[in-house]
Amino acid sequence: MDKTFRLILLVFAILATSMVTEVVLSITNLQRANRSAQWVNHTHAFIAEINAAVTAGQRAESALHAFLLTNNPDQRAQMSQAFGELSEHIEVAKALAASEAENKSEVAELETALIARADIARALLAAHRSGDTDSIHQQLSEDDPTQIDALASLNRRIVSRHQGLLQQRDRVEFNRDNRTRNTLYVGAGLTLLLLLISSWFIRDDLKSRRREAALLAASNEELEARVAERTSELKQSNRKLRAENLESRWSAQALEHQLRYNNLIIESVASPVVVVTRALNISRVNPAFENLIGELAPALVDQSISEFVKLAIDESGDEMIDPFELSLRSNQDLVDHAANAIDHNHKSRPMLASLHPLRDHDRVVGGVITLRPSN
Amino acid sequence: MTQNILTIDDEEVILSLLRELFEKEGYSIAQASTPREAKAAIAAKTPDLIITDLQLANSDGLELVGSIRQDLPDVPVILLTGVYFDEQTIDEKLSTKITAYHNKTAPLEALLKTVRKLLSADESPTASAEDQ
Repeated sequence: MDKTFRLILLVFAILATSMVTEVVLSITNLQRANRSAQWVNHTHAFIAEINAAVTAGQRAESALHAFLLTNNPDQRAQMSQAFGELSEHIEVAKALAASEAENKSEVAELETALIARADIARALLAAHRSGDTDSIHQQLSEDDPTQIDALASLNRRIVSRHQGLLQQRDRVEFNRDNRTRNTLYVGAGLTLLLLLISSWFIRDDLKSRRREAALLAASNEELEARVAERTSELKQSNRKLRAENLESRWSAQALEHQLRYNNLIIESVASPVVVVTRALNISRVNPAFENLIGELAPALVDQSISEFVKLAIDESGDEMIDPFELSLRSNQDLVDHAANAIDHNHKSRPMLASLHPLRDHDRVVGGVITLRPSN
Repeated sequence: MTQNILTIDDEEVILSLLRELFEKEGYSIAQASTPREAKAAIAAKTPDLIITDLQLANSDGLELVGSIRQDLPDVPVILLTGVYFDEQTIDEKLSTKITAYHNKTAPLEALLKTVRKLLSADESPTASAEDQ
């Protein structure tokens, strides 16, 4: 695993952690916001029920007064309905306040005040049913107006306190929203930054890999060129070797052909022919010489020529030198020198002998002796 | 188009080496060991060049060339032989029958040069390959 890959993995690990944190924070805030919204709805509902209960109490008292003045049964019915609604609103408010002691206390205080008003209403109705007008007048005149004001004041206080709580919650939620927004902005910024870092690493790595690939390609091209060059050299060398081999075989056959051809010529000559070495030993004879001596080549080869060809020597000089030896030494042809051929029965025949020195690069290496009958 | 060379020699090894040489160079090869085979090869496909030995079994290369010349006067002929001829002999005696003389002891490369020269030339001058 290379360094770049490890760095990218690290960056993505940080990125994943950041995103998970953002998601957890978001979910927590959503749950909190949901709870807060429930609380706000709950509080608004509580305020509405309190207001409705007080309004229902006021409507009931108005209907009661109207009924007492007009004796109209509709007013009586409206009063009963209003008292019924009052009772429902109080029950709902009590249910809404069940989870908070202070709310429960406020509802209880309100309920007590409204019950007191309801008791006055019941007493007035009772006096009305009995036709006791004086009692009605007396009760109405004795009705304490501060009690009504206290009820209204209690209503305002409860509503005001809850509105205060709502505002306070609103501020808290606003601050929390700000914090959440800031957290998300920071998270998004961090994510962007990490992505940029990753991009930079990846781009840098790709650039590096491209550079390496280009170098590798160049290296491969160079290698291929070298291989092609070497292959071409080998092919050329192979062609040359094959040509040399062919030339060598051609030379060998030419040499063999030439030897065979030369041999054929010697063999075909009717006169006796002897090839001698520089030491005047026989190295080769033709069939005519074999017939003359009465021996085959194996018996003649490596024998001295003097055993079979005796030259007539001029004994007039101070030294007696073999004419064959003299011819080879002086590199001069000896022509038609008187000689005797001695056959295997030691029978002598007069002949004329000639010797032609064999030269190899101006060096005498032997000679060719030919014989012909002496007339 | 591939050029066709007819080689005539009574020695199998010579024919084999000449085939290897000329096939490597991209020529088409026909071969004959006797005059009869040579005439049959010429009848089958007219050669662009003839290479013949002098001493054939029971025959003479120059005699064969003389016979071929009557039908193919423009086909160059190289005499490839182990017999040595000096320049004077070539010029005075052989040039009427052959286009070039080549001794068998000379390298194959020299023979190849002669062949290339004769097959690429518009005219086929008589020349001694030994001079090359």
